[in-house]
Amino acid sequence: MSKKFSVNGTLKDSVNTIKFLTERKQFIDNAPAVLPTRTDDFGVNKVAKCLHPKEQKLIISRIEEHKDIAKSYYFKSENDLAYFKAGQYLTFKLEIGNSVVTRSYSIASSPASALNGEYQITVKRIADGFVSDYILDNWNVGDEVTAYAPEGNMTYCPLRDAENIVAIAGGSGITPFLSLARAIDQGYEDCTLTLLYGCRTSDEILFKAELDGLAEKNEKINVVYVLSNSDEEGYEKGFVGADIIKKYAPRGNYSIFVCGPGGMYKFLESELPKLEIEGKYIRFEVFSSGKKMEDETKEFNITVINRGNESVIKANSNETVLCAFERAGIVVPARCHTGECGFCRSKLVSGKVYIPEGEDKRRIADLQFNFIHPCCCYPESDLVVRIN
Amino acid sequence: MVKNYDAVVIGAGNGGLVAAARLAKEGKKTLLIERHNLPGGFATSFVRGRFEFEASLHELCGIGSITGKSPLLKIFQEVGAADKIEWVALDEAYRLLTLDENEKCDYLMPLGKEAFINKLEEYDPGSKAVVTRIFDLIESIEKTLDFVSNINDFKPSMIKEIFSEHTDFLKVANYSVDEVLKAFGVSDKTRDILNGYWCYLGQPTDELNVIHYFTMLHSYIIDGAVIPRGRSHQISTALLEAFTENGGDAWFNTSVKKINIENGVATGVVLDDDTQINAKVVICNASPYNAFTKLIDENAVPEKFKKEVNAKTLGAKGFAVFLGLNRSADELGLNNHTYFIYPTNDNRKCYELSKRIETNDVQATVCLNRAFDDCSPEGTCILYMTSIFAGDEWSKVSVKDYYKTKQAFAKKMIDNFEKATGVKIKDYIEEIEIATPMTYARYTDAPAGTIYGYEASKEDGIVKRIVFDLIDKGIPGLYFAGGYSTRHMGYSPSYTTGDMAAKAAILAMEKEVK
Repeated sequence: MSKKFSVNGTLKDSVNTIKFLTERKQFIDNAPAVLPTRTDDFGVNKVAKCLHPKEQKLIISRIEEHKDIAKSYYFKSENDLAYFKAGQYLTFKLEIGNSVVTRSYSIASSPASALNGEYQITVKRIADGFVSDYILDNWNVGDEVTAYAPEGNMTYCPLRDAENIVAIAGGSGITPFLSLARAIDQGYEDCTLTLLYGCRTSDEILFKAELDGLAEKNEKINVVYVLSNSDEEGYEKGFVGADIIKKYAPRGNYSIFVCGPGGMYKFLESELPKLEIEGKYIRFEVFSSGKKMEDETKEFNITVINRGNESVIKANSNETVLCAFERAGIVVPARCHTGECGFCRSKLVSGKVYIPEGEDKRRIADLQFNFIHPCCCYPESDLVVRIN
Repeated sequence: MVKNYDAVVIGAGNGGLVAAARLAKEGKKTLLIERHNLPGGFATSFVRGRFEFEASLHELCGIGSITGKSPLLKIFQEVGAADKIEWVALDEAYRLLTLDENEKCDYLMPLGKEAFINKLEEYDPGSKAVVTRIFDLIESIEKTLDFVSNINDFKPSMIKEIFSEHTDFLKVANYSVDEVLKAFGVSDKTRDILNGYWCYLGQPTDELNVIHYFTMLHSYIIDGAVIPRGRSHQISTALLEAFTENGGDAWFNTSVKKINIENGVATGVVLDDDTQINAKVVICNASPYNAFTKLIDENAVPEKFKKEVNAKTLGAKGFAVFLGLNRSADELGLNNHTYFIYPTNDNRKCYELSKRIETNDVQATVCLNRAFDDCSPEGTCILYMTSIFAGDEWSKVSVKDYYKTKQAFAKKMIDNFEKATGVKIKDYIEEIEIATPMTYARYTDAPAGTIYGYEASKEDGIVKRIVFDLIDKGIPGLYFAGGYSTRHMGYSPSYTTGDMAAKAAILAMEKEVK
């Protein structure tokens, strides 16, 4: 630079530079010598904590039986319940025997009910439902249970989805859409809902009276029951497929949301292309199809590294690595059990795992450095896994 | 349980990761503690559907894609992380657009000193001479900073050298960007284009320290900017891998309850499960708010540093919209990597308007496919938009109004983008995620959801911090790294303060041995 360069003349520039010494001292000295605001006391941080508490202690306030098929559990808490979007799920942490397991259940109640201090989930009795059976047989009114904050992405987003939602539910997959219907009715979501609810027989329909009531009083809500195993008057017969969707879908653009059992997903995979709608308008609640069971189960050892401590646990080739952890009572912060949320992300130090097609939702760098989501990994050798 | 380490690092954010990696590389037995399940803090990514979104990085300086000046790359090389990261060099600085109908502008600026000056001459004929002189000053300032940062052993003769060889720096050290540009007599148009990057520092140029801003212009425009192919998560994980390869222990899902201070000296930490970690040094990548109100006993915090935190103002609060679009960038006409869209070129006005949700219209938006097209599946592209808020209006948003408010602001950002660029994106949104100040608070524990640490205000500009702020805050054995530290916020500064903290700690440990 030219020696002649100055901002306000050489003298003033020098004075200005020297001033900076005194300015700074005053700036600090004038401040109060008290502890600063605690991070948790900032308004934004308070709301963040309300939306995403680390854990929620919930008390079972009421249990509602749905014939012999399912039970609804209602929860209250001494603290504010975390708010959520219709379609999200709660993950519960349970200690069963020596195991520590997590399982997720869609919230059936409306977001408004959370603001009023209540959640509802519905648990259906299913074959091989280790945790579901435990809940159905052991949870009683007054019990305290532990849940994490609501999670999940199968929520209505007006910037992404069409304003008409065609929801396809199978079995207990009705709960996120019951929440959505309630949310629409209470003014918490601004979309229309055409609910195509597939069951085997009319006996298996959950929440029929309430759903009919909502459809009756709110023109934004329409409910159609589709029975696969019985021909009954007033119900559609068969499986929810392209024809039924076309018959009931509103005119114009619509988004399809699906939540139900694996068989339903497989059927829809071949049916939905017939509708010729763009992929962005079809959303499946994530779900693990698992892997094809091997006839012969192989036994492996997993060396688990947790905060520098090593332990060796048993695992087998037909169960996920997360399942082996749970069985051994090793607590990992798992949520979705489908490979999606990434909470259980761990380092695979050595060994080989199998990840079912479509379930590997890891980040690019996690693939590069061999981090895995144990909830969708099946051991194919002895493993060393660093969970923390 | 009690464990002994040479060093314990609290937080695996950018500062903590580099500090830990440096300590391990130098043979110090080091424990890195992170309460989250991922390394990186802000430097991370997330997957939605068939897209992997970058969480925060727009472009990284200090890797020297043009001039080879690469202080950050040197750190990554020294700690053993560099060969694990794949960089993509950018060739575009920014496209600058305004929403105000009365002063509509659209300038596309390239990276590279000559290219930048020539392009400016095209937009503002006759500007070349003065802009060349401004770049001379930018380079002169850089020389001084290089001189200062290479001082390992201070000698009194250096003061003489500073006063004889580094007069430019001394002249402008306490001026704002606008004051210096005015002294050069630049036109309004040239000033507006040169000030395009202001939102990266979040401070209007009438008070933003000129050395701070010019150093940034040097690092981006002259030296060149890059992004990592595996998103910033690749940098974070590479640093973690380098750290563990060099013998470091990293514990995730683990939080620190307390920093032990004995007789005014940091001696270790207590973990959430009451494990006692004894360490010769503690590096704190947590914010001073958390350090002083949660982790350190009140009596152990020197009065001066309570005042320091209270004197400073929290920097910009972040808001971001991440879009996975089901058309290619070509099909949509997304031709640029970085879009700066401002309500007006008067950045003081932008800043004042950004105090309110209703009036904030600032955005910096990136189309990642313009860095490397295979960042998303064929026929798709990724666009992410970031806005910054001065003030703390988000604290007034209730839980009940939260989703509505964030949807509405995201919609406004998308509308503004369409309006400014003429590119239609709304019908092509396949995936969307929206981050608010609450999101940043959730994932990083940032007070009020700030993404910029403290404001780079006139009183707290970078030169003043470098000269006056201590990295150890007056507690021997405790060193601070990250976005609240002496180099201000941002990726490169946070990595740098991590390295500085580790080096200071290593020096202290070696002195102790002697």
